[in-house]
Amino acid sequence: MTHSREALIRIKDLHKSYYDGEAELPVLQGVDFMVRPSEMLAIVGASGVGKSTLLHILGALDRPTAGTVFYEEQDIFTFPDKALARFRNEHIGFVFQFHHLLPEFTALENVAMSAILGGVTQQSSVHPHTDKAKEIASCYDTRSVYTRAQELLAYVGLSERQEHYPSQLSGGERQRVAIARALMNQPQVVLADEPTGNLDSRSSEAVLELLWLMNAQAGQTFVIVTHNKELAERADRTVHLVDGKISTAGKW
Amino acid sequence: MKFEWFVASRYLRSRRKQSFISLISIISIGGVALGVATVILAIAVLNGVEHGLKERFLANEAHVVLMLHGSDFFGGYTQRIAQIEALDEVVAASPVVYSQVAVFPEHSKRIQDVIHIKGIEPAKEDIVTGFSRFVAGSVDFQNSPLIAKAERLSDNTVTGGIVLGARLADRLGIVKGDILRLVVELQEHPINPDTFIPDLSNFVVIGLYESELAVYDNSFGFIHIAAAQKLYNRANRVNAIFVRLRDAEVAPQAAPRITDTVQFSVLEGLPIARTWMEVHAPLFAALRLEKTLTVVIEALIILVAAFNIASTLIMTVMEKTRDVGTFRTLGASRGSIMGIFMIQGSVIGILGTLLGTGLGLTLCWLLSSNSLRPSPWWALIVAMPVLLQVLIALRRITPRPGGFKMALWLFWLVSIGFGLYCFVKPISLVELGLSQIYQMNQLPIKVNWFFVGFINALSFLICWLATLYPAWQAANLNPVEALQHE
Repeated sequence: MTHSREALIRIKDLHKSYYDGEAELPVLQGVDFMVRPSEMLAIVGASGVGKSTLLHILGALDRPTAGTVFYEEQDIFTFPDKALARFRNEHIGFVFQFHHLLPEFTALENVAMSAILGGVTQQSSVHPHTDKAKEIASCYDTRSVYTRAQELLAYVGLSERQEHYPSQLSGGERQRVAIARALMNQPQVVLADEPTGNLDSRSSEAVLELLWLMNAQAGQTFVIVTHNKELAERADRTVHLVDGKISTAGKW
Repeated sequence: MKFEWFVASRYLRSRRKQSFISLISIISIGGVALGVATVILAIAVLNGVEHGLKERFLANEAHVVLMLHGSDFFGGYTQRIAQIEALDEVVAASPVVYSQVAVFPEHSKRIQDVIHIKGIEPAKEDIVTGFSRFVAGSVDFQNSPLIAKAERLSDNTVTGGIVLGARLADRLGIVKGDILRLVVELQEHPINPDTFIPDLSNFVVIGLYESELAVYDNSFGFIHIAAAQKLYNRANRVNAIFVRLRDAEVAPQAAPRITDTVQFSVLEGLPIARTWMEVHAPLFAALRLEKTLTVVIEALIILVAAFNIASTLIMTVMEKTRDVGTFRTLGASRGSIMGIFMIQGSVIGILGTLLGTGLGLTLCWLLSSNSLRPSPWWALIVAMPVLLQVLIALRRITPRPGGFKMALWLFWLVSIGFGLYCFVKPISLVELGLSQIYQMNQLPIKVNWFFVGFINALSFLICWLATLYPAWQAANLNPVEALQHE
């Protein structure tokens, strides 16, 4: 733990059990590791070993049974629901195996959604003083939100598709929109759960290219859960999850 | 709230972008609208009945009637009337001899009816109850030409003229100029029908009284006060004073002042002043009860509509479970998720309430306006939109601008409005044979604006409450499970 000062995320003795009636089903049994800024970290392991559960807890979507997660030395599970939601909005991006785009919104709106969601407080922190300033800021912000969303879509190569609905996009295109969405609020870390699990090899290659490009250009931290061997090998570092624990072989 | 509005407004629309608003939202809005429209209409009718009856009572009747306990006669009435008229709130007071008598037409052999007789001073009575306005014929009780004519034709001596309720006259089968015989005083001990000779007075029908109040038209006869006094052998005495006030609503306060003003001695008896409200208290109480029940029933109808909203929202929440999971991963708090569905439900509630108010008030106006409507054949024009819709269906393949959509909605609205305008007319109670029961010719409508406001607030509150559970349910979905929801 000598490197703990430079850790972006520190996972400490994480336990998670599911309960089926009286029966306890332990999934994570004391997971300890850390994520450094700007690294590409792959979490690998057999199916059902708890990789996704770990990722959900990292993203504060689920709460651990014991242990906790520190982001920049802050215990996120001490936050109340609202603060946790805000934290998620500002600091974490998600990419799932299934794109999870909103079917009723266009690609552009899907990408912009997290900024719209975070909207009001961001403006007020910029122009905290008068209502007028807020109003001006809100006009400016809406425009800049969509401008940024457009830029991101262009970045993932979907400039032509911004007014399309998810049902009008191909699987690879949807996943690229999802990646653009994850980057919208410039989060410190992007959590990806089998981002290429549902794609053919060509689309999957394009998506991986994109992730590495982001990492190289913007210095975004990525935590990728996968059982894709090739992906794991490309990562800066790999963490192996075995029997609910980090296997020593994989530890740095 | 920007985010919540953004999402809620999208959810209100249908999955297909062509539609202005989704079918399920329309059904929910329609439910609320119908509930609100019927309650406004129902209360307007009940209100109209109450108001109409009140108006008629006030037009036909004295506001306060002063009598002695047991309807005893009293003297010195001219002076007492002067005292009453000196009161600020009093317009006029009129002396009356009031009683019930048995009657039969001249050509009949036996008693046919028992009627109310009012002996009046015509000039005074006119001010107090507007008597002569309702009389077809003469009100000259002493010198009407009909009296002289009847005297010539009949063997009996004539006491004077009588103005008879129009429907009563119909029932007795007599017309103006006929003689009506009044059986004035029946002996109180058992009568031997073979030897009994009643004390009869003959009155010539000089006019027919037809007001809008069935009770008078059905059972009243008016004679001159002097004739009535002679009939009962009570010269210069009356047994009632009818009073008209400047403001009918202050009758309860005015009544005790009137009894205080006219001092009766212990020997004369105990005075009682009855207001028009007391006279009709059972009727108004019944109307109030009916109104209360209507509000309760209609509130239940709105409640049903609110359940409709709740089920719409629960369905939306189920359909959008994955979306909720996505929003949570993007950083939406529980409050935001709750906000989305509460906004959606509230918008349905507000639109439904406003639409219902519009519809209810339109129906109220159509049912009360006697303006000439176009022939119903013109309403066939309403069928035109159907043809147009067919054309539109053919055009469906081609994309069209949103403005066209709005124009279509407007077109339908106008068509339905015009259809209503042609078909919805005031309901004639005469044709339904109910005019005597309700004592009105057409279904009365009176909109109570305070109540419209109240029902708007109530409806919105109920709809808002209906959103709470589904929204709470959505807010408490587990984000991980929601994401994996199929």
